[in-house]
Amino acid sequence: MTRLRLVLLPLLSIVAVAIAQPVAAQEPYPSRPISLVVPFPPGGVADLTARPVAGAMEKVLKQPVGVVNKTGAAGAVGMQFVATSKPDGYTLLLALSSISIIPEADKLFGRPPAFTVDQFAPVALISADPTILVVRAESPWKTAKEFIDDAKKRPGQISFSSSGIYGTLHMAMELLSNAAGIKLRHVPYGGAGPALTALLGGHVDALASGPAVVLPQIKAGKLRALAGWGDKRVAALPEIPTFKELGYPEAEFYIWAGLFAPKGTPEPVLAKLREAARVGVADPEFKSAMDKLETPITFKQGAEFQKFFETDAHRLAEGVRKVGRIEQK
Amino acid sequence: MAETLQNLGLGFSIALQPAVLLYAFVGCVVGTLVGVLPGVGPLAGISLLLPATFGLTATNAIVMLAGIYYGAMYGGSTTSILMRIPGEAASVMTCIDGYAMARKGRAGAALAIAAIGSFVAGTVSVVALMLLAPPLASFALRFGPPEYFALLLLGLLVLAYMSGGSMVKSLAMAVLGLLLGMIGIDQMSGYFRFSYGIVELGDGLGVVPIAVGLFGIAEVLATAGQEVPPQVLKPKLRDLLPSRQEWRDSVMPIGRGTVLGFLIGIIPGSAHIISSFVSYAVERRLSRHPEEFGQGAVAGVAGPESANNSATSGAFVPMLALGVPSGPIPAVMLAALMVHGVSPGPLLIKEQPELFWGFIASMYVGNLMLLALNLPMVGIFVNVLRVPYSLLYPSIIMFCVVGVYAVNGSVVDVGIAIVMGALGYILRKLGFETAPIVLGAILAPMIELALRQSLAMSDGQYTIFVSRPISGTLLAFGAALVLLNLVSWMARGLDWRRRIPLDEKGENS
Repeated sequence: MTRLRLVLLPLLSIVAVAIAQPVAAQEPYPSRPISLVVPFPPGGVADLTARPVAGAMEKVLKQPVGVVNKTGAAGAVGMQFVATSKPDGYTLLLALSSISIIPEADKLFGRPPAFTVDQFAPVALISADPTILVVRAESPWKTAKEFIDDAKKRPGQISFSSSGIYGTLHMAMELLSNAAGIKLRHVPYGGAGPALTALLGGHVDALASGPAVVLPQIKAGKLRALAGWGDKRVAALPEIPTFKELGYPEAEFYIWAGLFAPKGTPEPVLAKLREAARVGVADPEFKSAMDKLETPITFKQGAEFQKFFETDAHRLAEGVRKVGRIEQK
Repeated sequence: MAETLQNLGLGFSIALQPAVLLYAFVGCVVGTLVGVLPGVGPLAGISLLLPATFGLTATNAIVMLAGIYYGAMYGGSTTSILMRIPGEAASVMTCIDGYAMARKGRAGAALAIAAIGSFVAGTVSVVALMLLAPPLASFALRFGPPEYFALLLLGLLVLAYMSGGSMVKSLAMAVLGLLLGMIGIDQMSGYFRFSYGIVELGDGLGVVPIAVGLFGIAEVLATAGQEVPPQVLKPKLRDLLPSRQEWRDSVMPIGRGTVLGFLIGIIPGSAHIISSFVSYAVERRLSRHPEEFGQGAVAGVAGPESANNSATSGAFVPMLALGVPSGPIPAVMLAALMVHGVSPGPLLIKEQPELFWGFIASMYVGNLMLLALNLPMVGIFVNVLRVPYSLLYPSIIMFCVVGVYAVNGSVVDVGIAIVMGALGYILRKLGFETAPIVLGAILAPMIELALRQSLAMSDGQYTIFVSRPISGTLLAFGAALVLLNLVSWMARGLDWRRRIPLDEKGENS
């Protein structure tokens, strides 16, 4: 009897859930808690952005929005999870620029991609942080021009660290290399933290980094900023030019954070989510949280975000293809 | 000096505020729990609790998170000693001699020594952190990939001292571990190795599933397979305290472990794990009774447990003095500071003296709390051994599975742990030690990355390893160690007098 019950109970509950599903679909969205998947560990840029986003959207949607860190394989595990989950608006993704890079890298190696970008419906862009080029304060380059000129003279001699191969910090440097026609030596590290440590320790010469983590080092006179990748100057560093100003507009690059739903999510649900995101980012609490992280809010939605996303994905795909497969020496 | 004392006074005035005391206590309790639970380590614990600190002040948040970190080092020894499951990765070494001590009825002594060693190491290393942080931090940064590679190579030599049994078997296991460590993404080219389309394998097998499987699950399987069930231990109260001899044997290992742990801890990376390995090897090398290692040598518990605690303070050196995320755990803690609008950087100590000195003072208080928390617990924990095996072992398996799952929320990890458990069982039946596998699997990805980063830095020139002073020195030290051993080995082979009694013995038996 007990054994029978053990078998029957789960079966019954599965049946019950199956019956309940269509009914739930009729209910106004959202009628139960939403999970916001962050494909990176707590404490990273994505996580620290997602938590205030979740808090702000919760107020609008009147349902709990829980952040779930589903980490692994540089974000691919969590992104794949959302790409294949039910498109009902209850599983959302907060992704960084790398969402466009991972499938390209997969293609490069001829392996079945973990997911593709068209498995997602873009909801809203939350923030876009241009990377900045930093070198040690005692290094010989005072300006970006000096850096690029020197790199032209000594191809492959100036080294830079990155958060990992084909990672955001790597791609920023590669876009610059392509735009300026220079060749730099890449030393990948396992994360943005170790990459910064390597630059400070003098093991590499340069680094493309999000401004927030290097600002204290710049203020303390340990690092020098040379130029930024954005189309506007970084607010905290008004005297630092952009690569666009210096004549390399193709180098434009941001580490952006955007909200996605699985493809196939019904349009009314998407509309509700966009609305929640729009009201959410205007929330003073959200603004102050992002201020503390020194990350500028850049809100785009609908067609505007779609266009930004596609242009960016195209540029990155190009970048990945240019880097190509790293051949072993 | 007077300034330091004044600052420390300021620190204590903050650390002894009821709210700060409370959060330090919460951190220590959570840390102990995180350490006790198999699999879940300080990184997972801190990550899980990070969102909960968003509502606190910066000082409270950092005090609590630090409490979790060093608290986990206290708690990690408990399950290692009682059940041979490493509570977290830095406690792998404690499994060997700690568990052997427990089988001999010295579980209480092992737990007490681990707690006291952790306390001494924790306190002494905070003094070092307080006095030496700024000068040491810049030294730590000079540890780049070539230096790291040289250090890890020394770590590989340690493998040779790991097992009491056959050297060949032990090295074979180490190589197996190194091979397992090859699984996962190639960090230099982005190529997936041996992942068979499973995205989760891109990150490799992971230390936790391997360690929990090879130690915890394999132990349960091996014991369950015995024809005569092992006797349930009934520890007496008298056996809870270390004997005079055990005290004497622990003093020096605790001292050495403290110094070693701190020095290795300041090096960027997951140094607290390596520090426990190195300490174990050093103790075994220096011991007058190396044959006791693996059979329940108290030094094999005292050294590594002190080292991993001391290493946590070491890890705070580059983090606090320079604002550099020197490892995964300090990185999360720096993020916690950023959420509160404190930008961690080289000016942190100057700009936020309350935070820095309050943090330092709270570590003194926290270590006292942990000692007070852990020593009385010894009596309670030891009672776990009284539980009949038919109840204890299924619960151990359950804790192993839950712990492994909790780290990444990944079923794949649970699968890895189970496969490793089966592998560990077979290997134990064949008389192989499993500890070298864990060490190999931990070291392989680190060595590989450091080697290839170094070569990327030098554009393929191997001279980078000898031309840089720190890595050159470390390599020379390693070479000397190998040579010394080789000489003594050859001398023994040449000494004919030694062979005769051996031969005679062979004939008689």
